[in-house]
Amino acid sequence: MNNVRIALAQIPSKIGDVRKNTQHHIEILRQVAKESVDFVCFPELSLTGYLMKDVAYEVATECSKSLTKIARETKINQRAVVGFVRENDLGFVQNAAATLGNGKLLGSTAKFYLPTYGLFEETRYFAGGNPKTDLKVFESPACRFGIVVCEDAWHPEPIEALARLGADLVFCIASSPAKGIVESNSERGLPIEEQWMSLLKAHALMNTIFVVFVNRSGPEDEEYFWGGSAVISPSGKTITKAKRFESDLLISEIDLDEIKRARRFTSFRDHNVRLHEVLIEL
Amino acid sequence: MGVDYLTKRLRSYIFEYAGCESATIGLSGGVDSAVVAFLAVKALGVNRTHLYFLPSKTTSKEDLEDSQILAETLGVPKGNFRIIPIDGIVDDIVQAAHIAQSDRLGIGNVKARTRMILLHSFARFNKGLVVGTGDKSEITIGYFTKFGDGGVDVLPIGDLYKTQVRQMALEMRLPARVYEKSPSPGLWPGQTAEKELGMDYFLLDQVLFRRFDLWRDEECIASELRIPIKKVRKIVQQVKSTQHKRYPAEIFKLGFRCHGSDWRYPREWA
Repeated sequence: MNNVRIALAQIPSKIGDVRKNTQHHIEILRQVAKESVDFVCFPELSLTGYLMKDVAYEVATECSKSLTKIARETKINQRAVVGFVRENDLGFVQNAAATLGNGKLLGSTAKFYLPTYGLFEETRYFAGGNPKTDLKVFESPACRFGIVVCEDAWHPEPIEALARLGADLVFCIASSPAKGIVESNSERGLPIEEQWMSLLKAHALMNTIFVVFVNRSGPEDEEYFWGGSAVISPSGKTITKAKRFESDLLISEIDLDEIKRARRFTSFRDHNVRLHEVLIEL
Repeated sequence: MGVDYLTKRLRSYIFEYAGCESATIGLSGGVDSAVVAFLAVKALGVNRTHLYFLPSKTTSKEDLEDSQILAETLGVPKGNFRIIPIDGIVDDIVQAAHIAQSDRLGIGNVKARTRMILLHSFARFNKGLVVGTGDKSEITIGYFTKFGDGGVDVLPIGDLYKTQVRQMALEMRLPARVYEKSPSPGLWPGQTAEKELGMDYFLLDQVLFRRFDLWRDEECIASELRIPIKKVRKIVQQVKSTQHKRYPAEIFKLGFRCHGSDWRYPREWA
């Protein structure tokens, strides 16, 4: 057994109120302090809220200060994943995720695929992450891990790259709003939930890794984030599933040895780079 | 799932977002206001739900009875259900504005706007919001009075077509006569929405859903529903021509950033 304990903090955020959201993050970290968790994961843009519109341009500095404050609450062997707005070297803002631990900010990455359809208009505000610098596998005392942000999970490459770079688990932090609620029922769930679960399971199975999905809960203007955070095993099993439409704080325990066992029965090792030679031409 | 979801959202909107204490709702005797009243009672409780029936001389007796039955069914305390005739106010405005008695739409708009003013005054007294009762069918084709029944704080069933509202009323076990009768704004005698639209809500909703939710073209819709294409076009044209009713008043840009175009902030803005 090679167990890792992960806290999934499925929380709401108040749009643009970084101070209030920071306090909420600190409260959650204090709440799980006695639980000996290796990771605490918050959703996409958890420090700022998602549907910020023009507020997005003006929160990066405050986010940076808040990350320092939140980091002080993390223990030596613990890692926290926090969604925030980062300013890059060119002065553009990015939809980013920070890794905090041992009382410090340890690093960050940014979202590669910025959705701009339907209600999403991320390319108006954000610059995309650079795969050469933002595809990162972080080391922790518990394991190696990577982070992708929401839409990145709707494409095969980011999670595959992190798995091949050696990540045992990939956090997928999200702000996924609900739709098709009238046609849904509590047993079947939401259409978007079904799609997400299919994607997450596919990533876990194809890459034989653990996938930890942490979605927002609560309202923002017309939208409502449906929650339903989950942990998927390398064999595609749903280990943990959080509440739908509500805040939740779940602790999930995974056994990393499952990765090795699962890899004996998959073709994950047969990575044919020639396929990418074709893709790069497209 | 829809009822629980809307209940949660209404509670959160009134208590947390708006920091208010109650809901003020104008009852019409129809299915939309019945469903919204049910949601408010479920979300906030009977004591924080204030229902007002504001009849005019063109309001039917049936609508009055149905509103009374609804208030009783929901268990709203007597003091929270009030009936206030509006004819005196409407007549004064019609006279002051020189609106001809033959202008039934003009007088109808005065009725709707009188109700709006009264409801907002009551909501202030009740430390609450005016919870609107417009549904997606009406909003999409602009079948409401601008600054009248459209002048509300929140529209909990604004993303449900009339057909879906009726289904929800059935799920809520509201009195059958409320959701079985033909919808009417009651602005003049014998007025029914379906007569004015030239088709029933079931068909209207099918057209709207196909055109705007599924992005089907007009020919495809006419073929699928086996109706003349001019009927589809008429509805689509009505949606386009009433766009101004769904938007705040246009501002002509002069400066660097203008409300409505490039001055974009969320409704909930910390």
